[in-house]
Amino acid sequence: MTLALLLAIPLAACAVSAVARGRAVLEAVNVTAFALTFLLALAVAAEVLRNGAISLWNGFLYADALSALVILLNASVALVCSVYAVGYLREDERTGALDGEEGSHGAAAKLRMYYSLTPLLVFSLLLVALANNLGVMWAAIELTTLASVFLVTFYGNVTSLEAAWKYAMIGGVGLSMALFGTVLTYYAGHKLPGSDGLAGLNWSNLVQQAGQLDKTSMRMAFILVLLGYGTKAGLAPMHTWKPDAYSEAPVPSAAILAAAMLNCAIYGLVRFYVLTSRCLGPEYPGNLLLLLGLFSMGIAVPFVLVQKNFRRMLAYSTIDQAGMMVTALGIGGKLAAFALMLHMTFHTVAKSLLFLSAGNVYQCFKTDLFQKIKGGVLRVLPLTGVAFCLGTMAVVGMPPFSLFQSEFLMIRAAFGTAHFLVGALFILFGLGVFTGVTLHVSGMLLGPSEEPRGSWQPWRHSPIAVLGVVLIVIGFWLPAPLLELVRRAAAVVSG
Amino acid sequence: MHTLQDPQFGDKMVTLMAAMVLVLQIAMVAQRWIVTNIRLFAAQSFLLAAIAGTIAYFNHAPHIYAAAVATLLAKGILVPLVLERLVARIEIRQEIEPILNMPLSIVISGGLTLVGYVLAEPFYRPEEAPGASTLGHNALAVAISLFLIGFFMMINRRKALTQVLALLCLENGLFLAAISLTYGMPLIVELGVLFDVLVAVMVLGILVYRIRESFESMDVSRMRRLRG
Repeated sequence: MTLALLLAIPLAACAVSAVARGRAVLEAVNVTAFALTFLLALAVAAEVLRNGAISLWNGFLYADALSALVILLNASVALVCSVYAVGYLREDERTGALDGEEGSHGAAAKLRMYYSLTPLLVFSLLLVALANNLGVMWAAIELTTLASVFLVTFYGNVTSLEAAWKYAMIGGVGLSMALFGTVLTYYAGHKLPGSDGLAGLNWSNLVQQAGQLDKTSMRMAFILVLLGYGTKAGLAPMHTWKPDAYSEAPVPSAAILAAAMLNCAIYGLVRFYVLTSRCLGPEYPGNLLLLLGLFSMGIAVPFVLVQKNFRRMLAYSTIDQAGMMVTALGIGGKLAAFALMLHMTFHTVAKSLLFLSAGNVYQCFKTDLFQKIKGGVLRVLPLTGVAFCLGTMAVVGMPPFSLFQSEFLMIRAAFGTAHFLVGALFILFGLGVFTGVTLHVSGMLLGPSEEPRGSWQPWRHSPIAVLGVVLIVIGFWLPAPLLELVRRAAAVVSG
Repeated sequence: MHTLQDPQFGDKMVTLMAAMVLVLQIAMVAQRWIVTNIRLFAAQSFLLAAIAGTIAYFNHAPHIYAAAVATLLAKGILVPLVLERLVARIEIRQEIEPILNMPLSIVISGGLTLVGYVLAEPFYRPEEAPGASTLGHNALAVAISLFLIGFFMMINRRKALTQVLALLCLENGLFLAAISLTYGMPLIVELGVLFDVLVAVMVLGILVYRIRESFESMDVSRMRRLRG
């Protein structure tokens, strides 16, 4: 029942926002809906911890620990971003950034578009993690793209159109490959007992008979799915849409894309990895994942080093992080799976914090170029500056922050399973990104500035304060139920 | 046995129609005019629906009829209509202007068809008893070729609208693979996929329209502002 409600609430919020009038109503509907969604996600996680996997409607919806973790992370990102969006869009409206050619009438239409598409995006993000059927999961991932295309074109200028076009086309091609992979997976299992009709693509069904799946088709299916969902995760060389989309979308949407949608793409890969590794052994999918993962980490380094725009820099950092997660999945084994889930959790917090702080900097300085800001963010926006600094240190993997732990575990897992080259490259690329990001961000945060000091704005600063505190706390102490959830999610991967 | 119940006859029908689908695809690569391209796509979708109908008939699988009808309505009629209206509205130059010239494109498409057959080889298992379950093994090779040629068309074209058409062809290849390999995925999945395709066409259509307005052209290769 909670599972159905979890999906129904964002969908209802989308419908209400599509017809509602007035900014206050839209804001209230969104924030309430996402608060409820977050509570329900907590309830689902608690239920999964208590009773194990739960399902609804003959196994159409299915939540094990892995789904529960992804749902919980995504629901919290959605809540934080919805609160932040209120302040962010009010500021946009005040400065006239939303008025297109149609004047303030355009602004009202844009607000309604934002507040109705975001719940739709969140609905699809939750459906990805809840759908048991791999075909339905595919449709949900495609829906995330369709729901977010118009969020990328939100400001309606020439560059955002270009970004949206790339996003839709690259995403479309990628997802058609993933669909082909899904079809082949269905073919691989269609002669097994109990696989007639809808149940034939149910993950919970397939995983029990993974050993008997047709090997030729699974081999081809995994390559296609890896390329397809890898496109969604922004793995190189299919990553080119990412910096454009993240820098053109309004910041709260970019945060949802960078933190939550990445989780969903990785989630899709994990589901197929489990099937393939049980069918063909962990070597075959593992090597493919390592190849793409390390390539993404490597390609992020030069782009981070020469980056001029901080939102694009964050996008390349996300490509780097996606590469790390895929590498961890590829290494395989219990420790790497645990590190992956831990990393996903920490990254969700750190990356949304970074994007939201970047949004504040962007709106205050009216630019996202390092060159024009010159420095002094810490003086002008003390809270945002500190948050940006914390987020950066966490994301580049500086101890004692949380991501250091998960990355350290990944490296340990790599050396522990005799992946020496992987471990060495991991450290090398990690250092490259570390140098680039710290260099740029410290230049931006420190130093004097002529700008007047910004004031405290509750809608925009409280989410950042909350995320900052959470980031520090989870660096030292992960609540026992959450740790247990992470552990069980890792057990879904490593068996 | 009556011809209309003989699975071998069904197999031949499916193979024949799949071959025609491939011919239409290569015709699309060779064609210069956008409107003709859209009509070829419509014809291809009609044939796909017919293949689905044939497979449904010989396999006694009623749910594939639903998929066939949905394909016919969505991809055979609705999408081409929308695209043609879009072409009329944005008043573009009607030629496609591919990057590689036509003879070379056709040769490449032929090569990709060969690759499709090589990739489909491991799926062909003659030792299994012929009958309803081996219907249309040729179709998989054609499906993979459609997929690859769709890719090629996408890279080979500059205009936004023609890239949308290429994406749709790619998806036709997928549909053919889905019905020929597994006699249709579960119906709900099929409907979800079709719904996504429809929405995608609408989304892309709106984007094409706006691109035309903002860039004064649909030439995607002129979009060069976002780099690095």
